[in-house]
Amino acid sequence: MPEPPHVPPGARVSVHRRPHTSAGRVLRSSLKMFDPRLEVHKPVMFVVYIFWLYTVALLLLPSVFPDVPSTGIDRVYYLGLVVILFLTLWFSHLGEAVAEAQGRAQAESLRQVRSGAQGRQVLPDGRRVWVPATTLHQGDTVELRPGEVIPLDGDVQNGALVIDESMMTGESEAVIRESGGDKTSVLGGSRVLQGVAQVRITSRPGESFLDRMIRLVEGVQREKTPNELALTILLATLTVALLVVITTLAFFVRTTGGGLVDLGTLVALLVCLMPTTIGGLLPAIGIAGVNRVGQANIVAKSGRAVEAAGDLDVLILDKTGTITIGNRLASEFIPAPGVEGKTFMQVALLCSAFDDTPEGRSIVRLATRRGATAEKLDPTKIRIIPFSPERRASGLVLPDGRELYKGAVDAVAAITGDIPRELRQAAQDASRQGMTPLAVSEDKRVVGVVLLKDVVKPGIRDRLRELRMMGIHTIMCTGDNRLTAGAIARESGVDEFIAEAKPETKLALVQRVKREGRLVAMTGDGTNDAPALAQADVGLAMNSGTSAAKEAGNMVDLDSDPTKLIEVVSIGKQLLITRGALTTFSITSDVAKYFALLPAIFVTVPFLNLLGLAVPRVAVLATLFFNALTIPLLIPLALRGVRFRPRAASELLTRNLVVYGLGGLVLAFVAIKVLYLGLEALIQEPTVHNLLLLLERYLARVP
Amino acid sequence: MIPWQAYLDVALTLSVVLALAPVLGRYMARVYTDRPTLLDGLLGPVDRFLFRLLGVSRREEMGWKEYAANLLLLNAIALVAVFLLLVTQAGLPLNALGAPNMSWDLASHTASSFVTNTNYQHYVPEQQLSLFSALFGLQTLMYVSPATGLCVFVAFSRGFQRRDGTVGNFYVDFVRTLTRIFLPLVILGTLGFLLAGVPETLAQSVTAYSPLAGAQVIPLGPVASWNAIMLLGTNGGGYFNANLAQPLANPTAATLLLGVVLMLLIPLATPFAFGYLIRRPGEAYPLVVSAIAIFLLALGIFLYFSLNNPFLPPTISQAQGFLSGAEARFSLPESALFEVSSIYSNTGASVMAIGALTPWAQTSLLFGMFLQASPGGDGTGFGMLLIYVILAVFVGGLMVGRTPEYLGKKVGRDQVKWSAAALLSHPFLILIPVALAVVLGLGFAPGTLNPATFTSILYEFTSESANNGSGIGGIADTTVFYNVAGALVMLVGRYLPILAMLAIGGSLSREGPQPVGPGTLRTESLTFTIYLILFLIVIAGLLFLPVLVLGPLSQLG
Repeated sequence: MPEPPHVPPGARVSVHRRPHTSAGRVLRSSLKMFDPRLEVHKPVMFVVYIFWLYTVALLLLPSVFPDVPSTGIDRVYYLGLVVILFLTLWFSHLGEAVAEAQGRAQAESLRQVRSGAQGRQVLPDGRRVWVPATTLHQGDTVELRPGEVIPLDGDVQNGALVIDESMMTGESEAVIRESGGDKTSVLGGSRVLQGVAQVRITSRPGESFLDRMIRLVEGVQREKTPNELALTILLATLTVALLVVITTLAFFVRTTGGGLVDLGTLVALLVCLMPTTIGGLLPAIGIAGVNRVGQANIVAKSGRAVEAAGDLDVLILDKTGTITIGNRLASEFIPAPGVEGKTFMQVALLCSAFDDTPEGRSIVRLATRRGATAEKLDPTKIRIIPFSPERRASGLVLPDGRELYKGAVDAVAAITGDIPRELRQAAQDASRQGMTPLAVSEDKRVVGVVLLKDVVKPGIRDRLRELRMMGIHTIMCTGDNRLTAGAIARESGVDEFIAEAKPETKLALVQRVKREGRLVAMTGDGTNDAPALAQADVGLAMNSGTSAAKEAGNMVDLDSDPTKLIEVVSIGKQLLITRGALTTFSITSDVAKYFALLPAIFVTVPFLNLLGLAVPRVAVLATLFFNALTIPLLIPLALRGVRFRPRAASELLTRNLVVYGLGGLVLAFVAIKVLYLGLEALIQEPTVHNLLLLLERYLARVP
Repeated sequence: MIPWQAYLDVALTLSVVLALAPVLGRYMARVYTDRPTLLDGLLGPVDRFLFRLLGVSRREEMGWKEYAANLLLLNAIALVAVFLLLVTQAGLPLNALGAPNMSWDLASHTASSFVTNTNYQHYVPEQQLSLFSALFGLQTLMYVSPATGLCVFVAFSRGFQRRDGTVGNFYVDFVRTLTRIFLPLVILGTLGFLLAGVPETLAQSVTAYSPLAGAQVIPLGPVASWNAIMLLGTNGGGYFNANLAQPLANPTAATLLLGVVLMLLIPLATPFAFGYLIRRPGEAYPLVVSAIAIFLLALGIFLYFSLNNPFLPPTISQAQGFLSGAEARFSLPESALFEVSSIYSNTGASVMAIGALTPWAQTSLLFGMFLQASPGGDGTGFGMLLIYVILAVFVGGLMVGRTPEYLGKKVGRDQVKWSAAALLSHPFLILIPVALAVVLGLGFAPGTLNPATFTSILYEFTSESANNGSGIGGIADTTVFYNVAGALVMLVGRYLPILAMLAIGGSLSREGPQPVGPGTLRTESLTFTIYLILFLIVIAGLLFLPVLVLGPLSQLG
């Protein structure tokens, strides 16, 4: 039995989108990021960078800093600081490099497709010439034949093509594109399997869908999104404020003449307090967000669109294909009074045996399941009366002369002349509940009514419930009448529905919702969806749709599965939550760091030494090391995003505050203590101890 | 043993404030939405006369830049006028005690101090200020500065309510604040002080003869009305040098507690007014509760460590608590309540010698000035709290997976930028001048820089940057450096956050409202309130713990 034309989310084949990263390349690019010109774009890490260079100077050029103690043991300590600060920077680079490498892996396979693309251009005089894709312009026409690669995005002008788009979409099933209608667009880079057709180029070289995809996943086009920008400002402010706090502290300490604090330790204090965790991972989080959308087989045209997805208030969903499977299926048999149920089912089954529509097949399926068996008949002796719009019914004339009809209730009643009152009543009730009744007649007598029902996709109810919990209002849009639409709306749990929608209804709806100040998303595939897609805050175009629709939307779903809008919302929210959670973690773990560092720096406040760290310099190194370690430990979280379960905002806030705020605080206390004990034990280990002594003696001799 | 009645006093006083605050808040909202009030019949003509005098049309609405420009202009004129008055007062009337002209630096400090609602006094009132300067110079500024603060509050709040980019008309707000809020309240406050025996006279002194000391010249003046606006306007500059430790200004425990009510009244009514102004009265609670929670925490720390003084040898039992620095006429809980109320409302009036308090008590007072928002001074304290809320909402909003929004307005780059500027100005203005003073060795004798001296310098600039005005003594701060640096710190510490508040109000006012749904971060909830309290404590702690460790806390070890 063929499946309905719905692609379950798990079944996509995305060969080219699996992230694979080469360790060597990640390593190289993480080291390249030590270039100050790259570092300067990340304010928080740039400050760390400057102070890392400063500690290097403290270590290597003690003569320049007369106040700084420079005995052998001091310099061993400085060496420790230099190493840990280096690790802090490098770990942050690693996160970014891994995220970039994931994107690059996607881009490379795409680029292979693009290189050397050629097309057979149809010149105005009718001649065909082979030209490289780079010389083709918008509006040019090319002719495509089986086996050829489509040079650039375009629309089929005449003819039909069977196309393998797997290179672009990861979808192994071939698609048909033909002129006229809504399925005309072809993607540059996909391969023609069958058919010959002329295609008008719709994109300029370098701006095709393929190029955009490459640029986006490579991160070339990556600009900071509004939220990211605001967060960067906040983090930069904290950094600058702490810079002032620690710099003035240096002066205070100098003047009070305690000589207790050396500059290296103050650098450690500064770096520990600065929001390095979030600052170091911020670029990786953004890149990973776009990559995650890519892994869901959706191409986002900008990072901004991904972020906007997290903010959506309203989703406009098409009924057909999104909420329902798309075809009406048989759900019930109602025999006429005096007709045996089984007899009726057999007639219905017979009637539909040669009907290859999904509705017909579903009648056969349901009847068979309920125990009806088809009579053995010779198909050659059966005359089929095909469905015609005038008759609104189809029929069969059997070898024994029996005439069977199946069709709209009124149409069949017109053929038979009459219909039992009970049946008419049942049919009317059924339409009121959104079902479609089909009457079946045998020899001028209506034997019963089959009820067809729009089938709500499995699982859609749960997803709509999740959306409601996230505070997202769903509106179903359908051309069906109010009754049918209302029934589906009730069954699926959608918040609102628009029945008898015309093509322009969606645009009006998008505009209305936007006027209310709410962010709206919609899916669409047709050319007449394009204006609404362009106006929606998130317009998810289906890859199977027209190029106009794809041009207008800010995301394209390569699987053409409109349900994925819901997935996009989750990814957007995850992106924001990850940023918020890591910021909170950065701030609360500072509290623990203060309690570790301040008593280590100032002997006057022993009562702050809650952790009981006895050796100040070991405490400083342990805390700084903890600070560096949090970055690689959180890289997976940054790339994957924090776990997001649809919940109400207040519940999410409490949960994330406890997990990342309180959790960060407790973790920091415990981890610093553990690292301290570990470091202390390590230093006392005879081998290490001797090594350190050697190092100390060596460093003491270096000028 | 501290008598239980003393604690009862504290509880009753705070209850009175908390009972009055919502009522006053509701009234303030009426005033600012131009709805009729009881006083209209009487004061309507006054308003109209003033508007005609200023050439203001009541209907004209201003964007934030225009509002800010007019506010700054009015403040600048007041500042310059009072400066000129102070440097020429010797030749002006009403100078029976013969106060000389102030030096330019002292006059700059004094005028800046009063126009910024700081009221830090580097001058000695009885010797260096004429009655004329007091009445027409400083007392005018004591009305101008809190009224300016409330205007800032109301313009900021309107940003949440409007979507046309306007924030109100500065002159209308300013005049109505004076005639509808300060005038009636000051009259009531003055009556209260008069009934308790505080002098109110234009006589500048009275000569008393005692058999032991002979003739004594006792300075007098319009003290009752001065007290009323000094406390209601969270000004804090005393008529007498000893501030409210002077028995004539503060004769009984009743005047002390009345003072507490007057100081806390407007700052705590403001959140309620905000709730009514934005038509979501429930939103006032997280703000009021956060402010009060931190206030009570500070009071608790102050009292606990004053009663369990670590410095006292075990052989000495001081059942009354650590009375060093305390007014002997009042109990420790009453004095502590006054002191904490005064510092946390950024008034700066004082009945204790702050330099003589325990390090923990000093720490709790400094913390209030670091925060400036629990509840903070008239108008601007609440504005500061809103700035903290915006930052808290920004981080918290991200944590619920939406672009953060507060009260239906998106919190984006503009708001974060200005909030950050306001937040950042405070550590800059405190730490850099302190570093200068410490490094250059100003205000203390060479070699005497110890934690106590450091605390004094830290306290001086903290008080000035927070526009608080309380002093701790311990350093020679009447020098050109302290006068000029102090004046600059006070002016920037006042007007930079004000600009930020108005800018945020203006940028919010340009935005359309966001509808509220289950996905929106609810700021009315208990969760958010607890989060906000922790956020306030952690952020202020993060920035200022190191200096506390160098200052008061290192006196503990």
